[in-house]
Amino acid sequence: MARTLMRFTGVGGQGVLLAGEIFAAAKIAAGGHGIRTATFTSQVRGGPTVVDITLDDEEIFYPYANDGEIDFMLSVAQVSFDLFKNGVSKGGTIVVDPNLVTPTEDDKKNWNIINIPIITIAKEEVGNVITQSVVALAIANVFTDALDKKILVDTMLSKVPAKVHDVNLKAYDLGEKYAKEAK
Amino acid sequence: MTREIISTGNELAAIAAVDAGCKFFGGYPLTPSSEVMHTISDLLPKIDGTCIQMEDEIGAICAVIGAGMAGVRTMTGTSGPGMSLKAENLGLAQMAEVPLVCVNVMRGGPSTGLPTRVSQGDILQSKNPSHGDYKSITLCAGSLSECYTEVVRAFNIADRFMQPVIVLLDETIGHMHGKAMIPTKEEVKAGIVPRKTFDGPSEEYFPYECGPTEPAVLNPMFEGYRYHFTGLHHDRKGFPTEEIETCRKLIQRLEDKVEAHKDEIESYEEFMMDDAEVMIVAYGSVSLAAKESIRHLRADGIKAGLFRPITIWPSPAERMKEHADKIEKVLVVELNIGQFHSEVQRATSRLDIDGLFKVNGRAISPHEIVTKVKEL
Repeated sequence: MARTLMRFTGVGGQGVLLAGEIFAAAKIAAGGHGIRTATFTSQVRGGPTVVDITLDDEEIFYPYANDGEIDFMLSVAQVSFDLFKNGVSKGGTIVVDPNLVTPTEDDKKNWNIINIPIITIAKEEVGNVITQSVVALAIANVFTDALDKKILVDTMLSKVPAKVHDVNLKAYDLGEKYAKEAK
Repeated sequence: MTREIISTGNELAAIAAVDAGCKFFGGYPLTPSSEVMHTISDLLPKIDGTCIQMEDEIGAICAVIGAGMAGVRTMTGTSGPGMSLKAENLGLAQMAEVPLVCVNVMRGGPSTGLPTRVSQGDILQSKNPSHGDYKSITLCAGSLSECYTEVVRAFNIADRFMQPVIVLLDETIGHMHGKAMIPTKEEVKAGIVPRKTFDGPSEEYFPYECGPTEPAVLNPMFEGYRYHFTGLHHDRKGFPTEEIETCRKLIQRLEDKVEAHKDEIESYEEFMMDDAEVMIVAYGSVSLAAKESIRHLRADGIKAGLFRPITIWPSPAERMKEHADKIEKVLVVELNIGQFHSEVQRATSRLDIDGLFKVNGRAISPHEIVTKVKEL
């Protein structure tokens, strides 16, 4: 497998860190290398946050995604979308929550923009807004095909308390369903 | 034997401290170092240790000095602004010869700077945090694994040389999350050499009476041996003195105890240096970008290699000079405006050392290094 570079962006407090952590851990569990970095501002909540995920079979040194080389980005905040979209390679996929991000016509020409209402799915269909990071996890894996589903789901379950396994599995399945429909 | 941990650099530093026998952490959480304290505050109570959040960074270093005087392996953690506050008391620990470990996860400065952003602006600060003459020992982690191994090494060096040891991480290394291969707990435990103590008659105990290149032998306080503790120039029992020769010998010994044993402290990594025609000098998270850039440069036919100091102070000066005597193109890459560059110039006696510096809180990318090397 060549290197997979993903970027999750949002604003502080939305929980985008966890999805990145799960991806990195799952890739390591699969015998490869994974690193997650997070960049955020001094604002505790509301500041633009970006999480870079690098997955590779070879050892990874530089932990950030090189701008212009990112295969896949997911964004749930306009400010972060605008700040970080240029890191995505031309023709790369950007999944946005259409209730929170409005791409321009130029954006639609430059990238494969997919609308999935991630927050609404988590809040209304799963019933818990916190599960948005797992919805995002499933969506990212459908579009990048980065990891075997079982390893990813097992890793995810190992990172959340047992009492919320069911709700997170539901979040994963819904994310996967919406992503496959949108792909 | 090694084991695998998936974690962040800050968490690994805390885990390392506990595995190395640290029983006391005094701190004041400061971005981007806070997770060191979060993690150790969870771990220490479980092993009968203590973690205390003091009123500020000054209180934190003072609490840690007290624990060190009591004979306990002890650590504090902070970032650049906290180092500025701790400076005076780091000097006290140098003067009174109290072993402790101080982790500094570097962020943008000066002053409050860029709290959540990466920097390596504390290189010169760590050489001389406080006024006066002494020899700093500063180690710098260049990978997740080293966030663990260098903290372990720092505890052993602190007890060996009876002084503070600073471990530098930076925001990138501290917060990145991935796999670290680290030694087993048993291996770490087997490597612990307890600090020297005196067990003769108490009237014959003179803690500061030692060889000209050896550290003081400080028994734990309140365990039967009396001595005086001060930041003033002091005699063999620790009492203040202005006696000319005693004062000179004391300060000279603080310098020489490190200088004479550099070989026990110095550490560096050489990456693809065997046939290198360009030497990149980088440390901390920047060395990760440098390694990635070397892959690209070699693919383009440019024989680049990396020299990475792990011990920043005292610097591996002789080894850098050996390389620089043979390699014409030398480039120092760092997240400050040449703080280690000046040390490379000094060590190599060369003023034509190139530099690639950045101070906007963002990492230096492998592409930037590739471009710079091609311009040399």
